[in-house]
Amino acid sequence: MLAQQQTPEEKYVKDAFMSYYKNRSFSVPEVHQREFGFGGWERKIEFRHIKIGTNQELSAKLAVEAPFYISYSVSYYQFPDARPMPKKAWLGADLVFDLDAKTHECGKFTCERCLQEVKREALRLIEDFLVADFGLSKKEMVVNFSGSRGYHVHVISNEVKRLDREARREIADYVAGVGVSFERLFWKEGKKLFGPNFSSGGYGEKFAKAFCSKLNEDAFALFFSRKLKLNEEKERLIGYIQKGEWGGVGVVGFERKLEEKFKQMLPELSVNIDANVTADITKLIRMPESLHGGSGLAAKKVSQLDSFDPLKDAVVFRGGEAKIRMSETVPAFQLDDQTFGPFEAGETALLPQSAAIFLLCKKAAVLA
Amino acid sequence: MNQEWQKAMLEYINKTMHFQGMADLLFCSHYPFSAQAKEYVTQKGLQLSTEIIEKAEKRVADAIVLGKIRKVAQLPEAQEEELAIYAASRMIVSACANRYIMNRYCIAEAKRAGEYLASDSSAHPEYIGQVASEFGIKFESTKEGVLVPVVDYLVFSPRSYDYKLSNRRLKAGKVLISSHEKIRILEEAIRKRMESSLPVKAQFPQEVAEAARRIVKLMPKIEISATKVDQKNYPPCIKKLLEDLALNINVPHTGRVALAIYLSSIGMKPEQIIDIFRSAPDFSEKVTRYQVEYISSKKYAMPSCSTMDGYGLCVAECGCGNPLRYKDEIHGARLRRLEKRD
Repeated sequence: MLAQQQTPEEKYVKDAFMSYYKNRSFSVPEVHQREFGFGGWERKIEFRHIKIGTNQELSAKLAVEAPFYISYSVSYYQFPDARPMPKKAWLGADLVFDLDAKTHECGKFTCERCLQEVKREALRLIEDFLVADFGLSKKEMVVNFSGSRGYHVHVISNEVKRLDREARREIADYVAGVGVSFERLFWKEGKKLFGPNFSSGGYGEKFAKAFCSKLNEDAFALFFSRKLKLNEEKERLIGYIQKGEWGGVGVVGFERKLEEKFKQMLPELSVNIDANVTADITKLIRMPESLHGGSGLAAKKVSQLDSFDPLKDAVVFRGGEAKIRMSETVPAFQLDDQTFGPFEAGETALLPQSAAIFLLCKKAAVLA
Repeated sequence: MNQEWQKAMLEYINKTMHFQGMADLLFCSHYPFSAQAKEYVTQKGLQLSTEIIEKAEKRVADAIVLGKIRKVAQLPEAQEEELAIYAASRMIVSACANRYIMNRYCIAEAKRAGEYLASDSSAHPEYIGQVASEFGIKFESTKEGVLVPVVDYLVFSPRSYDYKLSNRRLKAGKVLISSHEKIRILEEAIRKRMESSLPVKAQFPQEVAEAARRIVKLMPKIEISATKVDQKNYPPCIKKLLEDLALNINVPHTGRVALAIYLSSIGMKPEQIIDIFRSAPDFSEKVTRYQVEYISSKKYAMPSCSTMDGYGLCVAECGCGNPLRYKDEIHGARLRRLEKRD
C-alpha cells in the first residue's frame, strides 16, 4: 500500500474501527473458498482477489488492519486468489438479494422512513417470495443489515449453490417482477376472460388476491363499474375470481380496465431488489458483522427482522464524544434513540461518538 | 414354508430379471446416453465394425445436415446395434474437433430422445421417470399438470420467453408445467449432459478419423456476414458475441437478444441479422426470423453495461456505459493503453 497522508478524520475513524475488530472473532461459512475484498477511506473495494485460509486468520487480519470495508464473494472457488476470474474455478455460489432504500429527500443521510420501507420490502421478499414461492426455509437464510441503506439476504443451501448466472437472473427477474405479462396470466375462451385464482401460485395468485382486497376501496371498485359499489356484486365477482372466471360479472371493457390496473399494481406486488447483485456471481458483498466505512454502523446479522431497528441495533461506537464541524448542511437524523441536527454547514457540535463517526464517514463533517 | 418362499422368490427374480433384460435394451436404445445404457455397453463390450462406423457416419451426417436423427426399427438386434452406432457417432463427432458439429449433433440427439420420450409417454410411461431420475429431477403429477422443483426448472428449462419464470405458476418451490414442457425440459437436460460429455478424448481408429473428415465437409459454408460489417466501433462485448457465433459456439439466449438489439439499433436490417445467426448450432430459420423481426419492430433499448455484466456478457471494462455509446477512438484507445501498461 502506498503511504498516503492520512487525514485526522480517517485516523479517528480507523482507531475506532480498530477497537471494534480487536478481540472479535468472525465466522464466515467456507471462508477458504471465498474471495475477499477490502476497501479504504476513499474506495469501497481497493483490493480484491484475496484468499483467507481460516476464520482465525480472518479475525487476526481484521484486528491488525481494521479495513473500512470488508466484502467477500458470494461465490465459492477452488482458487479464490487466482486471476482472471475463470482461473478461480467456480464451485457454486450463495443466492443473494440486495435491497436498498429508495433515495428521496434524505439523500445520503438515510432516514428512518426509508429504512422502515426497505425493511418491509425485505420482509415481503422473505415471506411472500423466498418462503411462499420458492419454498425455501428461513433456516437457509442469513439476513443482515447492509450497514448503510438496506438489507442483504443470503440463501446458503446446496440446492441453490449450483445455479448459474442465467438461472439467478430468472430468479431476480421474478422477484423484481421483470417480464410479468398480463397476456400470459389471462386468457380468453370465446369471449370469456379467464385468469388466475387464489391458489394459482406466481404473480397470478398475487394479483388475484391483491385485486380482491382492493375491491374494498370504493375508488378502485368504481373504476371498473358503478354496480361494484354494491357489496353483493363485489362478493359475486370475488366468487367468480376464486374459480378463475374473471369475466363472470358482465362489466363493459373489463379486460382493458383490468390490464391497466394490473400494470399499475405490479410494482406493489414485486420487490424492489438490485437484480444485478443477484445475477452477478462475481459479486463481492459486505461481510455480515463487519463495519461499513460509509456510516460507521455494523452490517448486523438480524434474527428478528420485524423488530430490528438499524439506527439503534447496528450502532457500535458508544465511547464518549467528539467535537466536529459540518462541511455541508446536515438534515436532522436519528441514532441510538436520539435526534441530532439539523446542522448548517460550518456549524460545530459536540456529539456522541456514534453520531460523530456517522457524519465523518459520510464525509459531511471534519474534526473540530 | 421357508423353502417354498425361497422358491417363489427365485422364480420372481428370474421372471423380473428376464423381463427387465428385455425392457432394458429397449430403454437403452432409446436413451443411449443413460447410465443404464453405458453399463449395458460396458458389460457386453460392444465391438466396432466398418458397418457400424458407416451407420454412425450417417447418423452424424443427418444431425448436421437435417438437424435430426432418424429413428430406426426396434428389433432386439437393431437395439443393440443402435448402442454401438451411438458410441461410434460420439467418436466421429469428437474426431471432428469442431464446436459447431458437436453442438449441432447434441441438439439432434436430444431431439431424437425427445421424440422417444413423447412416444414412450403412452407405451412405456415408466421410461419417462427413469430418464428424469438420470438427472435427479423429481416430477410430480397433479390434476392440473406436472410439478417440477424450481431449481431443476431453472437449470434445465430452455431459455426462451415461454419459460420465463416471472409468468409461471410458482408455489412452494415448485413450478407447474404441461406434460409437453416436461419432455422439453428433459430434452434440454439431455442436450446439456451430451454437450458436457463431449469430446471423447481417445485415439480413434483410422475409419473413424476418415468419417470425421467427411463430416467436417458437410458444414454449412456461410460467409459470416458479421465480418462484412465495419466492426471498428463495435464494443468488445458485441465483438465477442459475433466471434462466438462465428466459431459456432452456442451463445446463450440473453446474448443473442443483446446482439440482435444492438445490430438492429445500429440500423442493420432483420435479414442481415438473421444471416449472422445462421452459424449458431441450433439455428432455426423460423424461430430466429420471428424473434429478430419482433426485436427490430419493438425497438428495444440496448441493455446498459451493468445489465450486460449481470448477464455475464461484459468482457472488458471499456467504461462506455452502454454498448451503443462505444467509440473506438475513446474507449478502445483507453483499453489498449491499459493493456500496454499491464
